[in-house]
Amino acid sequence: MKWVTWEHIGVDRMGSAWLIQRFIDKQAEFIFIAHGSTLLPKGCEPFDIPGVRYSHHGGHCTFYVLLKEHKISDRVLERIAQIVDEADEIHKVAVEPAAPGLDLICRGLRQISRDDFEALERSRFIFEALYAELSKDEA
Amino acid sequence: MGTWLLFIYKVPNEPSARRVYVWRKLKAMGAIVLHDSVWVLPLTPRTREKLQWLASEIKEMEGGQSMLWESKQIFTGQDSDLMQQFVDQVDTQYKDILSQLQRRNPDLAALSRQYQLASAQDYFQSELGKRVYESLIELRRKGES
Repeated sequence: MKWVTWEHIGVDRMGSAWLIQRFIDKQAEFIFIAHGSTLLPKGCEPFDIPGVRYSHHGGHCTFYVLLKEHKISDRVLERIAQIVDEADEIHKVAVEPAAPGLDLICRGLRQISRDDFEALERSRFIFEALYAELSKDEA
Repeated sequence: MGTWLLFIYKVPNEPSARRVYVWRKLKAMGAIVLHDSVWVLPLTPRTREKLQWLASEIKEMEGGQSMLWESKQIFTGQDSDLMQQFVDQVDTQYKDILSQLQRRNPDLAALSRQYQLASAQDYFQSELGKRVYESLIELRRKGES
């Protein structure tokens, strides 16, 4: 399936794309449209765009919503969802110290990448690394 | 001249949890409300996206409405007044942290968290913020030695 989101991707879009390709749709292709655009190309599944199914709901980020909507139960992914929640939004009570750092790294990664495709490709590495390291805690 | 985000919204009085939710989100971003009606934030990619999200959350609430604009001031001098309001707001929080740091045995863990929350609202790089940052590091070092 083709998945579409706003360009200049950051932590939630990078994480969500990784989650989609790794756990939801192995053949996923990604398309980026202008930031703020509400004109969605036909036949694409939008994500992390205000107002669509796979976006922020109930105070949670898109990563978390994707996880719940697809009924994926994986404790490591739930941890990552918590980290992305705290990275993407200001929370008075924060329990994941990795969150602000992950947000910064994702922003920087987009800056040093030629385009969103390259940023997405590189960001996979970060989320794979996070997944591997957090899996050790769950073992 | 800076560009500002203007935001107005309406959420039904009941259930009150929703009104509190929206208000808290705006306060956490450090938004300032002008004349009890218009909320203002400096335009950055981050504030822009966060307010877009908030607008979409309000739209999902029954009876919720909002509008979001990007705007420039065209009357000389008002820009710096508004900027000063943002600086004053965050400086009040920094001053509070600094005064607590001067007491005996300050709770450095709690105050460093308070600093992080304040700095998320520091849009114009307040000098006091740097002082809080350095004081926290210095006091920690003293506590460790």
